[in-house]
Formats: sequence, structure tokens, C-alpha cells
Amino acid sequence: MKKELTKVLFKRVSTSLVVLFLLITFVFFLLRISPGDPSQKFISPRLSPELVKKVKESFDLNSPLLYQYKAFVINLAQGDLGISYNYRMPVVSVIEEYLPFTLIFASLSFIIQILSGFLLALITVKKRDGLLDRAISKISLATYATPSFVIGVILIFLFSEKLKVFPSSGLRSFDAGSFSFLQSLTDYISHLVLPIITLSLPGIAIYFKYLRDNLEDVYNKQFVINMRALGFTEKVITRKHVIPNAINPLISVAGIELGILFSGALITEVIFALPGMGRLTINAILTRDYPLVIGCSIVAGILIILSNLAADIIRASLDKRLIKGSLN
Amino acid sequence: MNNYKIKNWYVILLLLFILFFLRFSLIIKSYLLFYKFIGFLFSDFSTAINILDFGFADLIVSILLIVLVPSLILYEKNKNNLLAVVLNKKLNFSSFTVIILISFFIFAPLITDSNPNFQKDIGVTKLLPPLSSVDVITLKKVKVINKDKSTFLLNLKDDVVKNSFNENLIFADSVKLGEPVIFYQKGKEKEIQKNKLQSVNNIPLIEKKHFLLGTDEFGRDIFSRLVYGARISLLIGLGAVFISLLLGLSLGFLAGYPGGFTDSLLNRFTEVFLAFPIIFLIILILALFENSFFTVMLVLGFSGWMSLFKIVRGEIILLKKKDFFISAQMIGLARHKLLLKEILPIILAPVIVNLVLLYGNVILAESALSYLGLGVGNNYPSWGAMIESGQAYIDKAWWMIFFPGLALFFTLFAANNIGKEINIHYNPALET
Repeated sequence: MKKELTKVLFKRVSTSLVVLFLLITFVFFLLRISPGDPSQKFISPRLSPELVKKVKESFDLNSPLLYQYKAFVINLAQGDLGISYNYRMPVVSVIEEYLPFTLIFASLSFIIQILSGFLLALITVKKRDGLLDRAISKISLATYATPSFVIGVILIFLFSEKLKVFPSSGLRSFDAGSFSFLQSLTDYISHLVLPIITLSLPGIAIYFKYLRDNLEDVYNKQFVINMRALGFTEKVITRKHVIPNAINPLISVAGIELGILFSGALITEVIFALPGMGRLTINAILTRDYPLVIGCSIVAGILIILSNLAADIIRASLDKRLIKGSLN
Repeated sequence: MNNYKIKNWYVILLLLFILFFLRFSLIIKSYLLFYKFIGFLFSDFSTAINILDFGFADLIVSILLIVLVPSLILYEKNKNNLLAVVLNKKLNFSSFTVIILISFFIFAPLITDSNPNFQKDIGVTKLLPPLSSVDVITLKKVKVINKDKSTFLLNLKDDVVKNSFNENLIFADSVKLGEPVIFYQKGKEKEIQKNKLQSVNNIPLIEKKHFLLGTDEFGRDIFSRLVYGARISLLIGLGAVFISLLLGLSLGFLAGYPGGFTDSLLNRFTEVFLAFPIIFLIILILALFENSFFTVMLVLGFSGWMSLFKIVRGEIILLKKKDFFISAQMIGLARHKLLLKEILPIILAPVIVNLVLLYGNVILAESALSYLGLGVGNNYPSWGAMIESGQAYIDKAWWMIFFPGLALFFTLFAANNIGKEINIHYNPALET
């Protein structure tokens, strides 16, 4: 079984890497064929012509496309992503600065989404068609239909402008330098409450809907009725049989969602001005920082591949038949 | 009570009747204008073409449709086709929303009483709360000396078609009649000669301009921006969904029908699209190339075909083994006929449901792009852009974000619900 698993994993990882490489090639050529010249920003009219030529050469954007691509691939193979135009630092160290926040932020929100979606689904499925069930279903439908930037702006309006409970943007207060450890921790938390709610609400609605439908399906299956007839307690049925069956299709959805979360919760980061990968990517795109755009795409791609892989491994460990299925 | 239900077409007729009643004089004037314009078209073609611009054409189309649509409904409602089924459905919340949105789309020049980009005397009109009004003084028009035949037409057109600027209007907080007429703008006292004003029976004409949903930071009417914004959302949604449909259908057919190498190639290609958060790709393309109405539509269309591709490919692979399909192949049907006549009718239901859900996603994506400043540009009002500009005034003017947010919410909610309803319509077993 272990041999089979490694074989499947190897196959998955290699195809994913090929896909990632194709994607990066696509982004690379898209950047090069687009109109405009990013080196123009760094050339003032007062520079001498030789210096202008030197600056332009340092960007290496005038040599033929395929030569640029060859140099890029060779550098990529050595793990060198180049130097960011704006930050004047290696792309890797720029990303190192922004990635930890996104990882923490995304995982926190992901855990909250899964847990609350799961709990709500469990609570409502037990009291089917009750007042609570109907209310939560309606609310989740409504949340699903609200764009996340509308949710974010409404939250800012309520909690930052009217009630003045939570700050509206950023990650730290202005005077955070003088804070003790506990103070800065509470500072971080109070800055993160609204973004996390904004990011999590749509996800909670999705997971709730998925799980609620799946749970109801499984509860109506013949084997559950049989077990009830045989005298198993409701607790045992739910925990050992209903939940594992209902949760399986959710895991691959969760894997995709996690990947997207990791690559940057774009809108949320923009609303609350948070220093995450999403905003870094957007700024890189808008300022035409080519190496940084490619670096961000690579990181996003790798994180997506990893989270999909994790989801597949979990699914395979729950249901061994899947390994055989994906081998054929 | 069970036999009695409010059908969709009752509401459409009622709404159109109310609109017709409220804008009666405008509609009559527009018909007069249209009549004169037709006359000009035969006598002086080049002048007539010069007069014709987008706002004028828009108005003409809406005044024609406000008569045509009710007659079409009354004619079609008893027939046995899809339109009649839709018209005779019981009214619910989402169909009501759709009716409102479509009437915003078609009758925007009749519903609103000002151009969405109209701004004048910003000091007075900016950031007014909902249901507020200001006084309007109208200056006398400068007499046109050249008494051409087309002058009448032009004057009538100026009267009927709303422009984004009108130098003959003055907005004021309050007006005192006298000689000269005194009016106040933001506490400042200004005066103007009485004989410069348009007057009735020698009393200067002072009207009230109402702002139903308030104004934004440039004094533009939020209600008319909302109504015209519906056009952008619906049009971009329609265009993008159509592009996705074409791409998904043809690629799905190309992949599923021959199978083998093309299939795996196209599958990898789809994976490339799915492996990357698509919003970044959209932003990348829009930021690198220019963002205009058509690029936004194209990019959104090119980014939404993956789910359709998967559905079409999966269904075709199943269909290929069915007897009727094999016999159709044996007869020697051409490929495009196989797609249109044998495959399309069968996959219609899942495809339509997917299209409606995709439509909601496209509208959401468009508003998110506008929110990020990469939307259709400043020439057209867009809901997302309205929310974005409102965020700066969040402490002063809640209405700037509340109403577009509400509009977006209702639209997306209706799209989701209608997708579900169509699904149930085609698979009645789903209804529990």
C-alpha cells in the first residue's frame, strides 16, 4: 500500500509541477508582450545617455524574448528569482517578509471556517426544518450572495466608525513600538478581528451548505436506519458513521479553498490594508515589478499544489479505494 | 386562495404602467422628437445623423419598448413557449428582482430624471442624504439667431435627452425672490438679475430637484448611477457568459468527442487555469493591457469557461456510448450538427444552470474589479466603483456604499436562486 501511495504522490507532484511551469511561462510571456516599459520609471530625463543605456541594460528587457526566457529558466533552476524592481531586494526575501502573515491569517480563517461551518451544520441537521435551521439556512444564503468587500465595508462602518471597537486598517497601531508583549498581542488581535470575520463569513456559508446537504443525505441512507433499528445510540451513529461519510467530498473542496486562501485573500487585504501576499501581488502587478509578479505566482502555485495534495492524502487515508482509483 | 397567484407578467405590466404614468410628458415629448427626427431623416439626412448620439438613441429605444413590451407580453402570454412559461410563473422575490433589473437595463433614461454623470454646483449638491432636495433656478436660454429648421429639433432634444452638463441650471440651498433674485450656495449669498431667469407670468421659475437616494462626493445622483450601473453589470455579465459558453462548449466538444491526446492536452490546459487563483490572472491581464468595457468582458469571459468545459466534456464522454448517438454518427452527420442537434439538447439543463450561476460570479468579479479600480473606467457608473469611492466617506455618507451594496446583494441573491429554480424545473426530483 505504501509503495502505491508514493507512486501516486510522485505522479501527482510531477504533473502539478509541469502545470506550474506552464503557468509561469504563460505569465512570463504575458508580462513581456504587454505594452509599457518598467525601466522607464527609473530613468529621469536628466540622466546622461550612457547611464540610461546602462539602466536599461540592467533590466534586460530589450534582448530577444527567447534569450530572456532562457536566462530566466536557468536562473529559476538555480533558485534565483531575480531582484524586485521596487524593493531593490531579492524577490525571495521580499516574499519572506509577506508570506508568514498570509500563512497565519489564512490558516486561522480556514480553521474558523471549517469549525463553524461544521458545528452549524451539525446543530441544524439535528433539528431539521426547525426555526433555527431555517434561519441559519437563510442567513447562509444571504452571506453567500454578499460580496466580501461589501461585508468588509459594512463591518468597518459598524465596528470602527460607529462603535469604535476595532481599528479599521493595518496590522499594528502607530505607537506599537513601546508596547509590552501582552499589549502588542492584544493589538494584533484587535486588528485582525474584522479581517478574519470578513474573510471567513463566505467560507462558513459554503462549508455549512455543503456539509448540511451531505449530512442530511447520509442521515437518510438505509444503513443509518438499520443501525437505529439495531439500537445503536445516536451519538455513536453520528460520530462513527455519519460524519466520516459526509465529510469525504468536502475535503477536496477544502483543499482548493485553502490553496486560494494561502495565495492571498486579495479583497480582504485591500480593504483592511494588511501586509499579505495578495496585496503584494497586486502592487507588483500594478507597478510592473516583473520578477516579483513571477515570484508571487510561483509561491501561489506551490501553495495551491501543496494544499490540494494534502487534501488528497487525507482523503486517501480515509478511503483507501481512492489510491487504486487514481492509479488507473 | 390557491387558484389565485400573482404572475410575473402582472407585475411587469403594472410597473410599466406606473412608469408610463410618471413620465407621461417626457414620453410624449420624446415621441414628438422622434417624429420630427424621422421627418429630418428624409429631408436632411446629414443633419439628422449629426443629431443622433448615444443618449438620444437610448431614449428612442426605451420609448419604443415601453409600448412594445406590454403588447408583446399580452400577445405571447397564452402561447405555449418558454417565454410564456416564464411570464406565467408565480412571482417570487428573485423574479421580482430580475424584473426590476431588466427594466433598469432597458428603461434607464425613462426611470431616472438626471444623467448619471451630471454634476453642477458641487458645493451645494455633494454628499446629500437620501430624500433630500435642492432648489433649482433655470436661466433663460441664449437666443439662437440663426433660425434654422433644425433649431427646433435641437432645442427639443436638449429638453428631452439628459446631458452630463447643463449650464442653464443653478442649484441653490434656498432662493429669495425679489429684484434681483438672491440665492444661497453653502452660506454664500449670490444674486442674479430677474430678467435672466426663465419665468412664468413674470415670476421666476424655481423647481425642486429631489435626490431619492442622495448624492455622492461630486454631487451626482446616486439613484441614476445605480440604475445605469445595472446596465454595466448586466451587459458585462451577458457578454462574459456568452464568451464562456462558446469556449466551454467548443473546447469541451473538442476534448470529449475525439478523446485521446487532445483530451489530455486540453485537460492539462484547464488545470493550468484552475491551479491559479483566477482573480490574479484577471488583474494581471487588465493591469498590463488597458482596462475598458470590452477587455473586462473578454477577460471575465475567458476566465469562466472551466466549469462548463468539465460539464460538457463529461457529458459527451457518457453520450458517446449511447445508441442514438452512434446511429447519428453512422448516418454521417457533420460534427457541428452532432454538437448542435444531438448533444446540446441533452446537456442543456446542466449548462443553463451553470450559466446562471456563472452569471452571478461574473457580476461579483466585475464589481470586485471595479472596487480595485480595474473596472470599466470612469465613463460608466459601476456598483463596485461606487462602493470603492464611498469608502472614503464612510463616516459622513453611509448611503454611498449602502445602496450599491444592496443592489449587488439582490442581484447575486436572485442569480443564485434562479439557478436553483431552473435546476428544479429540469430535474423535478430535486425538489424536496
